[in-house]
Amino acid sequence: MSSSSESNREGESSKWLDAHYDPVAGLNTFSSCIALADLHGDGEYKMVVGDMGNGPYNMKLKVYKGTSLLSENALLDMPTGVVAFLMDQNEPRTPAVAVASGPFIYVYKNLRPYFKFTLPALEFNALEKEVWDQAKEDKIDPLTLKEMLEGIRDKAEIPLSVRSLRYLMLDPQEMEAFVNTYKQLPLKRQTVITCMATLKKNMSDKDAVCCLVIGTENGEIFILDPEAFTILTRVSLPNVPTLLDVNGQYDIEYRVTVACRNGSVYILRRDSKRPKYSIELNSQVVGLLRVQKNIIIGTSQEILYGYSQKGKRLWTVTLPAPIMTMSLLEQKSRSIQTVLVGLKNLEVHLYRDKNLLSIISTPDIVTSVCFGRYGREDDTLIMTTKGGGLIIKILKRTAQFEGKDSSFGPPTRQSIKLNVPKKTKLYVDQTLRERENAVAMHRVFQMDLYRLRLSAARAYVKALDASLSPVSSTMQEPLTLNAIVQGIGPHFKLILNLQNTSQNRPSMQLLISFLYDERLYQLKPAFFKVPLLVPGLNYPIETFIECCSDKGISDIIKVFVLKEGKSTPLITAHISMPVSEGLVVA
Amino acid sequence: MGLFDRLASWLGLKKKEVHVLCLGLDNSGKTTIINKLKPANAQTQDIVPTIGFSIEKFKTSSLSFTVFDMSGQGRYRNLWEHYYKEGQAIIFVIDSSDKLRMVVAKEELETLLNHADIMHRRIPILFFANKMDLRDSLSSVKVSQLLCLENIKDKPWHICASDGLKGEGLQEGVDWLQDQIQAMKT
Ligand SMILES: Nc1nc2c(ncn2[C@@H]2O[C@H](COP(=O)(O)OP(=O)(O)OP(=O)(O)O)[C@@H](O)[C@H]2O)c(=O)[nH]1
Ligand SMILES: [Mg+2]
Repeated sequence: MSSSSESNREGESSKWLDAHYDPVAGLNTFSSCIALADLHGDGEYKMVVGDMGNGPYNMKLKVYKGTSLLSENALLDMPTGVVAFLMDQNEPRTPAVAVASGPFIYVYKNLRPYFKFTLPALEFNALEKEVWDQAKEDKIDPLTLKEMLEGIRDKAEIPLSVRSLRYLMLDPQEMEAFVNTYKQLPLKRQTVITCMATLKKNMSDKDAVCCLVIGTENGEIFILDPEAFTILTRVSLPNVPTLLDVNGQYDIEYRVTVACRNGSVYILRRDSKRPKYSIELNSQVVGLLRVQKNIIIGTSQEILYGYSQKGKRLWTVTLPAPIMTMSLLEQKSRSIQTVLVGLKNLEVHLYRDKNLLSIISTPDIVTSVCFGRYGREDDTLIMTTKGGGLIIKILKRTAQFEGKDSSFGPPTRQSIKLNVPKKTKLYVDQTLRERENAVAMHRVFQMDLYRLRLSAARAYVKALDASLSPVSSTMQEPLTLNAIVQGIGPHFKLILNLQNTSQNRPSMQLLISFLYDERLYQLKPAFFKVPLLVPGLNYPIETFIECCSDKGISDIIKVFVLKEGKSTPLITAHISMPVSEGLVVA
Repeated sequence: MGLFDRLASWLGLKKKEVHVLCLGLDNSGKTTIINKLKPANAQTQDIVPTIGFSIEKFKTSSLSFTVFDMSGQGRYRNLWEHYYKEGQAIIFVIDSSDKLRMVVAKEELETLLNHADIMHRRIPILFFANKMDLRDSLSSVKVSQLLCLENIKDKPWHICASDGLKGEGLQEGVDWLQDQIQAMKT
């Protein structure tokens, strides 16, 4: 694993060009608040960023062109989603920008405010209204108001309005002023937008008109008409949506995949009043994407899951660090879709299904990732960091992601065809003959086998009778003997290796004597008393042989291993002596 | 070259033909520059992104140029290398206002210089740091720094800032190129 991730890292510099890095760009944002679009219709794609500023101040909608900031618009509230979308068919077909923030969607055209959509008001608590009415008429003092509101909060079915909730958080000295500012205003309860995405209306082209899809804090999904901003569809969810992924077309068929704060993911389809499928995860969902037909989910427990669109788990990958953000890397020219996962350990991992393709190291923790056409470059990767930095990388034209496919399936070797030769005529004839005469052939074979066994048995018996075998057969004295002749003559050295092969019984009182033609050979010594043989050890016994003939003839020397007091030898060995070369040479 | 040809070219009757490759990223202004180098009556008014490549001709005092104006779009860049063999000189155009893609231009230049058909040839390269009229454009010095042109040791090269729309800087560059080609031939 470590070696494969090393090689991924190594290949990183050969895949990405470092186009720009500004560590102090002052961008504080998330992937859901970045959009890339050809805002001016000049073929040069701009980046729109909903910048959170520093906490509740300085929130801005920033537009970047290339490496520099083009424009800024102040935002009144925290942006929760930024998308660029085509609202209508009018020429020039420049996209509008929608910024979700609080209960509103601010729509900008040509980077100028164009329209504001407000979520419909919710029903408020009658008791709450009554209490505020009393406060309006100064019938109750601020502290009583607080107590009464707390009472309602704890019991009521309809939750309190934002006004009351904020009031309950105040310090006692601030209360009076708050009541005086707000008591005249009518009580309203409104929810806020938590996430936003786009859905093509009725065409699948790149520049199709898109509906806006939003999720709200009170657990609803709205689909809005792009021109009139009327609510086309409204669906209730069991929990608060936090992440959205939408595909398909509104008028034909679409799927809205929603991750909720309770750790569940729901899949809505056209005409379904209720979620069609649900996936229950036992931790918070921090990233949600659709890649082709699969749903990729990243959770707060450092795990990446792949699910089918019917909610069946396909695979699981454990990541080395917590997930900061996730985004889709879609290389349109090659129709490749992969998933970018920004991790807390200063790495961005690229996955195709469960295979890690590449690791990008970053100088700071990445909080948002966005891939797409930027400027005039199709495959641009934009990242912003925790410290407010902006990193832009461009995928090389020649870059290839080679994922080692660790998935199942037969190994490639299995599909290589073997070069099997054709059946020859001879082969076919032989097979036919064997098939026809199988019984006869078997009988002949059996007869030969019996003959072989008989002659083997005979030879064995003969050897036993003469104690000719180099292995002693008597049970009392199991011995082995082997002899080696060294030298070229006329002087030879004979080494006899004697070994007691019994388990634990030593052999005693053994003698070795030789039988040979005395006209040809002289042995000294020609008789040994064998020492006690310890089982298992090898005893080499050496003697010298001198050949006294100069006629170049050789003979057999017989070695006998004898037991004291017995006439039959335990082992007999016949040594064929080599011709004495020394004499021949001389 | 025959005696007559030499005489004719010396007299300026018949000009030497050279093949030049015009390379650079899309939108850098290649077609605009080539168009401006053509005689006034042959210039076109509307310039659209080149598809594949187009062949253009123009003349200087002593040379007759045949230019392969290649498309700079990513999907056509793999066509460039098929013309490297024929090219006797290269004009490389850079959009000096496109800071983001300076790395891409550098990458393509490196690929070009390391190609087998270019690597071992003393082929002159003229760089145009184009669009110098734009407010946020980089100077030709800065462009040559970003592209690491000082590393090109085995080929004559020259960079000029240019404005393809007005034609500024083009003459300087083409004069240099003409000198180089003539120095190479004789
Ligand atoms: N401001 C300015 N614009 C220029 C300059 N040169 C070219 N342009 C503009 O840049 C755009 C692209 O010019 P082209 O000549 O089509 O670029 P190209 O390099 O041929 O592009 P491809 O054919 O796609 O490779 C056109 O809109 C030109 O008008 C220049 O010097 N200054
Ligand atoms: Mg062109």
